[in-house]
Amino acid sequence: MKIIFLVLIATLLFSSQEKEYSPEYELGKKLYSDTCAACHGDKGIPNRELKLAVRPRNLNKTILLPEQIHKIIKNGAREYGAHSDIMPAFKYLYDDKTIQAITTYVYKEYANQTKSRINKALKESDSLSKDEQKEMLVIGKKIFDKTCAKCHGETGNADSLYVKGSKLDENFIYPYNLTKIRLNEDQIFLFAKFGSYFWGSDKSDMPAWNKKYSDKELKSVAKFIQESIKKN
Amino acid sequence: MKKIILSLLTMSALFATEHVVDQKNKTFLPGTMKVKVGDTITFKNSDPFSHNAYTDDEDNEFDVGMQATGTETHMKVKKEGEFHIECAIHPNMLIKVKAEK
Repeated sequence: MKIIFLVLIATLLFSSQEKEYSPEYELGKKLYSDTCAACHGDKGIPNRELKLAVRPRNLNKTILLPEQIHKIIKNGAREYGAHSDIMPAFKYLYDDKTIQAITTYVYKEYANQTKSRINKALKESDSLSKDEQKEMLVIGKKIFDKTCAKCHGETGNADSLYVKGSKLDENFIYPYNLTKIRLNEDQIFLFAKFGSYFWGSDKSDMPAWNKKYSDKELKSVAKFIQESIKKN
Repeated sequence: MKKIILSLLTMSALFATEHVVDQKNKTFLPGTMKVKVGDTITFKNSDPFSHNAYTDDEDNEFDVGMQATGTETHMKVKKEGEFHIECAIHPNMLIKVKAEK
């Protein structure tokens, strides 16, 4: 019993030392503190004092996977459909290796639950039969035209009557340009199902559609966006 | 006969009521309504962003399209029954309408 206890302690000490002394992790930690923490907060939770229309994401709740985090840090959010440069491109400041260090730190420290949250949400969602899968694009287009296009535009490029009819002041939250997003089909489905708040936004700018539409319908929309709207 | 029908139509128009619904903070106000066939529901948009109002009820089908901030749109109640009015871009917005003869 004593031996097992000692082995456990040693394992815990060893793993925490490995985390602390990984040069990439340490570099990422320092850069995060110097660069990212001002907006995303010391613990990945955005600073509530910031008065920004688009609040920085809570990194503990992000839907992004490591390679997607890397691309957002590198190229900025506008490259992937955001209207503003509020999440800027850091490729002018850091090289790929440095950006990877930040990515590693962010993912290990804050976003390490992302994959399991995605998998859990997918597992708890209804799956489609083969016959249902055949009609997904038709259903998806119908819902997209009726609902999504109102804000995101008929072609998904965010040029919509919603934007034109709104007061475009500093508080206005522009819809994403869906032609540029990098989320995969599963992520689009989960984003539509639970809305942006569930995935780390401070405001419910993208509503949760799970009360209005079934999983089958939302999966159909995701498929339609993936295959007919996205250009990336 | 024509005169009688015209008089009746004029009379019903005179007795029709206008019900005002405001769209504010992503909410329809009021959230429940009792109306009569022939009444008009006017939708105001007091939010700084666009809204929509529509129903899937076959007897009273309407869709105001995209309603810009600060504008008004109208729908006329055509048939009695109970139906819901929703906003196509804010899924939590809902009015429960009971329409009587």
